[in-house]
Amino acid sequence: MLLWPHWLALVVVVPLAGSVVTPAVARGSGRVAGRWAIGVMTVTFAIAITLVLRVAQTGPFSYWFGGWEPPYGIEFRFDEFSAFSAVIAFIGLLAVIFSQRYAEQALSPKRIPYYYCLLMLNLTGMIGFTVTGDLFNTYVFMEILSLSGYALVAVSGEKTAEMAAFKYLVLGAVSSLFVLLSIGMLYALTGSLNMADVSARLTAGVPKLPLIVALAAMTLGYMVKAAVFPLHIWLPDAHAIAPSPVSAVLSGLVVKMGVFGMLRMYQIVYRADVVDLSVLNTVLVWLGAISIVMGAFFAIFQDDIKMMLAYSTISNVGYIVMGLGLASQYSLIGASVHVFNHALIKSTLFLAAGAIIHRTGYRTLTDLRGVGHGMPLTGGAMAIGAISIVGIPPTAGFLCKWYIALGAFQAGRPFFGFALVFGALFIFIYYIRMVNAFYFQEPVHPEVARIGEAPVSMLAPMLILAALCLVMGILGRIPLSFIEPAVTRMLATIGG
Amino acid sequence: MIEALWTNLDYAASVVLFSIGLYCVITRNNLIKKFMGLNIMETAVFAFIVALGVVEGGDAPIMGADASPPFTNPIPQALILTGIVVAVSTTAIALSLIIRVYRQTGTIEADELREME
Amino acid sequence: MKRASVAALLVLIAIPLLAAMAELPPHGSSETPAYTHVSERYLQRGAQEAGAENIVTDVILNYRGFDTNGEVTVIFTSVVAVAAILLLRDEERTSQERSSTPVSPVLLFIVRTMAPFIALFGMYVILFGHLSPGGGFQGGTILGALVIVSTVVLGPDVAHRMVPAPARPWLQAAAPLTFVTVGLAGLAVTGHYLGFPSGDEWGWVGTLMLVVIEIGIGVGGGTIMASIFWMMEEER
Repeated sequence: MLLWPHWLALVVVVPLAGSVVTPAVARGSGRVAGRWAIGVMTVTFAIAITLVLRVAQTGPFSYWFGGWEPPYGIEFRFDEFSAFSAVIAFIGLLAVIFSQRYAEQALSPKRIPYYYCLLMLNLTGMIGFTVTGDLFNTYVFMEILSLSGYALVAVSGEKTAEMAAFKYLVLGAVSSLFVLLSIGMLYALTGSLNMADVSARLTAGVPKLPLIVALAAMTLGYMVKAAVFPLHIWLPDAHAIAPSPVSAVLSGLVVKMGVFGMLRMYQIVYRADVVDLSVLNTVLVWLGAISIVMGAFFAIFQDDIKMMLAYSTISNVGYIVMGLGLASQYSLIGASVHVFNHALIKSTLFLAAGAIIHRTGYRTLTDLRGVGHGMPLTGGAMAIGAISIVGIPPTAGFLCKWYIALGAFQAGRPFFGFALVFGALFIFIYYIRMVNAFYFQEPVHPEVARIGEAPVSMLAPMLILAALCLVMGILGRIPLSFIEPAVTRMLATIGG
Repeated sequence: MIEALWTNLDYAASVVLFSIGLYCVITRNNLIKKFMGLNIMETAVFAFIVALGVVEGGDAPIMGADASPPFTNPIPQALILTGIVVAVSTTAIALSLIIRVYRQTGTIEADELREME
Repeated sequence: MKRASVAALLVLIAIPLLAAMAELPPHGSSETPAYTHVSERYLQRGAQEAGAENIVTDVILNYRGFDTNGEVTVIFTSVVAVAAILLLRDEERTSQERSSTPVSPVLLFIVRTMAPFIALFGMYVILFGHLSPGGGFQGGTILGALVIVSTVVLGPDVAHRMVPAPARPWLQAAAPLTFVTVGLAGLAVTGHYLGFPSGDEWGWVGTLMLVVIEIGIGVGGGTIMASIFWMMEEER
């Protein structure tokens, strides 16, 4: 193909151009905007897939904007971690398809074109965030995805939505500022903004204290974005009140961007190998472990299904952060793959919850008793998601959690391996509660048990994701071995 | 240490400003004041990054006919132009959220809003 | 009690930051890494290879052009977000009684007289951004402010005519769209997205592309400012 070398740029430019013209193309029609969004996201997904195939064949590759070689220009760098952009495009596409019917009912007609526009901007920001190789560019994409995220939380127009969005905005903006401050300090220390170049210039002569403080500030900022306990307070309200496809995107993908930012930061400092990160790592491990337990603990007491899923996100991000902090080969592989698997699983769950709320109008477990009989396919997807998120083999959640636990032993911290299993037990309890309510309890509202299925445009995305949860469990070795070279490269300098 | 801090007084001042902003964000009860705290923080970070570009006796980096070195560092200025636009956008969104909160509840005091829930 | 604990927390954050600031390369020195690495090349060769005498413009639009591409997307996001948040549920807003406080004739006179000059100044700032301080955002803000002043003083009807409604969604998206268009044009000409031709023979094309982007940003930025103001004003 003629544009072959440029597809790395186009994977961001296409959805960006596609989203900014949405309000103009739609001219007030939500239906047109929806169709347009499906088209744009399909193209984006196709481009992302070719990039993933290319990275699998040839290893990481770069794109230089304007032809300026790094560090003078902006560089996009597509490595194995960036393959997450394909997942973003895929889940984004499914969320957009799901929205077709959902938006008609849940949103006011005037808002729908803006809704699709914001959703696509959000996805664009995330794709850019995962592929960029420039620190300041990271900040720009982070702001695109955050600002659109704040608005998407408020878009439902429910009574507390604006307040939840405002809370999200204040915490999100503060965390962005910590990241920007840190970028400024790294720039002062190295004179460069290109990640690889920053890493190369962080030599022994660089003053240690500012570097450590900069890394700490960046970690703090990204921890808010990733909703690590105790910085999670914005998440439950925001994710529960947002329209369900948005919740799927926010919970499955946007939260991961915080983790992703940390991963990029670790890539920089591991390669440079000038500071001892063990303190930072220990903090991350502990916070991860506490997040797992506290997230699960709060989830048990929720009656609202979306609230419960939101808290479950906190504990699952805890797994990932713990894996990062353990910093051993296995734990990092497990954490990176859990980023990917949790995105699939949590989107399944939120889309299924959205379909249930769309059909019944209820959102608490008490009201929804017996809904598994009324909506067998949706309930089935929900059950598969629940089994996966607990991590029961052979579903998607098992292998990566297993790897993180192995990593804990590898890092010589078996205690955290047990913490992980303990957390899984907690998670098991509340998901069992949900499955129990859906299938085995006497309905409070008899009509719920014979409500009938959701429309196809909602069922299809959900069932595809549920099927993937199973397939990824059986073929779980593939992502693990895909990500392995990147982790090996990242760790090459430690202990070497 | 103190001497070095004196050399980097501009940076230290931004840290102080940053803390003042954060204090406002955490303690203020009124949503608009909270948000003004955030704006103070933004200003602090921008001032810090712009200050990174200062060079003693430097001119604006415009290569006209009569330009003579030294010039100030153009990169921080360019970055902060981007940063300011982001800050403006955040402000617009925050204010519209506050408008809606006020419409729905009749108050923008955080404690009263909490009681309402 | 709460305030004291918050203050303690802030001290905990501020002390390491201050200590770190003290160890950063000295302020104002020309020996710092920040000054001697990337920016050195920009200052030495920017005017020749990037197409504008104003190096800040070179950095914004050429060397780090993609940042600005993202940045104009951020400001576009804000206008869409404000629209999504403020546009009301189903019912059309009943046309509110506009405050019919009479505008002082002095104000009216000043605004009417100054308006052309403000517009001219805005355009100057946009078009000369590659030669002098200024550029698309700064000029766009001036134009946007002009529209806002007109809304307040001359009334919304006059102001709305300045930005015709059917064109509004396109004009709001003008900045990112111009960027993408010029970026793709650069791809066709130089083989790189956002590549600008340079050198003696083709240098003027590069400069022209920079000016086109500045205009796009100016128009888009001004429209977005005015649109946000209108939406908030209607909701008032």
